[in-house]
Amino acid sequence: MMRTRHIRTVMRKDFLELLRNKKALAPLVVVPLLLVAVLPTLFILVGGSGPVAKSINGISQFLENLPTGTTPAGLSEQAQAVYAIVIFFFAPIYLLVPVMVANVTASSSFVGEKERRTLEGLFYTPVSDSELVTAKILVSFLPAMGVSWVAFVIYGVVVNGLGYHLFGELVFPTVTWLITAFVIAPLISIFAIELVVAMSQRASTMQSAQGLSVIVVLPVVGLVVSQASGAVMFNSGVALIIAAVLVVIDAVLFRVMVHRFHRERMLVTL
Amino acid sequence: MSEEPMVIEASTVSKRIGTRDIVSDLSLSVGRGRAFALLGPNGAGKTTTVRLLTGMLAPTSGDVRLFGKALTRSSSDRLRQRIGVQTDGNTYEQLTVEENLDIWGDLYGMPAPRRAARIDELLELFRMGSRKGSVVSTLSKGMRQKVAIARAMLREPEVLFLDEPTAGLDPEASADLLEHLRAVIERRDTTMVICTHQLQGLEELVDDIGIIKGGRLLESGPTDALINARWPDHDYEVVIGRNDLERALQVVGPLVMRAEGQPLDEGCSRLQVTLGAVSAAPRLVAELVGAGMHVFEVTRARRSIRDLYFANVGEGAA
Repeated sequence: MMRTRHIRTVMRKDFLELLRNKKALAPLVVVPLLLVAVLPTLFILVGGSGPVAKSINGISQFLENLPTGTTPAGLSEQAQAVYAIVIFFFAPIYLLVPVMVANVTASSSFVGEKERRTLEGLFYTPVSDSELVTAKILVSFLPAMGVSWVAFVIYGVVVNGLGYHLFGELVFPTVTWLITAFVIAPLISIFAIELVVAMSQRASTMQSAQGLSVIVVLPVVGLVVSQASGAVMFNSGVALIIAAVLVVIDAVLFRVMVHRFHRERMLVTL
Repeated sequence: MSEEPMVIEASTVSKRIGTRDIVSDLSLSVGRGRAFALLGPNGAGKTTTVRLLTGMLAPTSGDVRLFGKALTRSSSDRLRQRIGVQTDGNTYEQLTVEENLDIWGDLYGMPAPRRAARIDELLELFRMGSRKGSVVSTLSKGMRQKVAIARAMLREPEVLFLDEPTAGLDPEASADLLEHLRAVIERRDTTMVICTHQLQGLEELVDDIGIIKGGRLLESGPTDALINARWPDHDYEVVIGRNDLERALQVVGPLVMRAEGQPLDEGCSRLQVTLGAVSAAPRLVAELVGAGMHVFEVTRARRSIRDLYFANVGEGAA
């Protein structure tokens, strides 16, 4: 039986540690701001062409391969390009936010505790394996969701606020974006956390655990590339398929993770 | 000793990790209220032994009993509620002393007012009251060790396991910490198991010792009994006048098992003798004085834990 008091206390400890670790906090603020505020602001202000678009691989190709009817009718050519970028191109890029935050917090919480040589002490307390894993997953998941949803709101303010003069209406959020932020983002966060937890018994440093994020980032990058090449458009149908695949992966990984998490095995590798 | 209830009992415990035998055939017992020191060089198996005795690791073979109950996977969580462990790991460096202790008390289900009172009590005991709000990373190594020990003691455990409590401390800090541990033992009926390879100051602290090397327990039992068993003779040093040495050796010859002597600097000589029993000492002194010699000093040469340790483990092992 899980005791919520134990879970709450471990979470309190981890949050206190995270909030006092400026090195861990910095990327959790800077990277999302860059992705959901700085980049879209630049695109909206300078348009979908020009040096900003050229500076990011795939955008020019994405605009060339854009299927007809993807953007609302009646928009100028420049507005259509900006719309396509902020609504479609940025959706998979936004997924990097939950992946990055979940990876950093999970690495710090699981492997960081091992690296800082504090884990054994915790093992001696009455906290059970399942309580410990649950607390650590929540400690990683909640900031990932908090930051992602704040990023979602900031992105909406930037797109609607700065883009209103181009689009003449509020274009954000679309159904695809709602699915992305409230279905795919939580699922992909869990995927990133589960990978770190599953590998935490072997990984001895936070850096090695963070290297695992490549496994999660690669499909996201694949999605960006697929859009750019015109092979796949990140619309609500694709978003739902991705969500379904993630549900299966998360469920399988959870079983593997619970099965593999073994206190004694972790202890002898400390 | 045998009449006391055993709080910790290990019988023929072995632990193999991978292809290595970390602990082999270890048997020991610790009675309630006793202070037991598990001594051994680095890599001897002390930490693994603590992990086995606390149910953190399951033995490959053999049995461990805590408080008279078998330590199994199902019972270990419950039995661990009654013990406190200071590992050789760290406390939470980014948290304050108070936060470290408070979170620990919370994990053990202590109500907030009791936690607060106990934290104040322990910090007073360790003379760290003024550092309650200090972030642990700003403390000296000695203070951090005290926080780690205070954390293990927070719930007033019946058994306290301390793994290398004086590791990395300078002699002054080490002596200070041992003094605090003595105070803990005197105040409460706490059973204490201390793993260490630092032997300084242990005599005044521990009742029993075990010496481990290469995962094998070489000796275990009450300190005095082990020392007397290994060195049953009674060695004395007698300081006499410089010119009396030859004559003294002749006088004490029939009374002692062994006698030798050498001149000292300050116009004196030292006579070293081994008696068959303590009761022979007054007669020895009487014979020397009766023969007209001046006896300036008589000292019993006591063997120490250090002597016993090196006799078992070998020089250069500490």
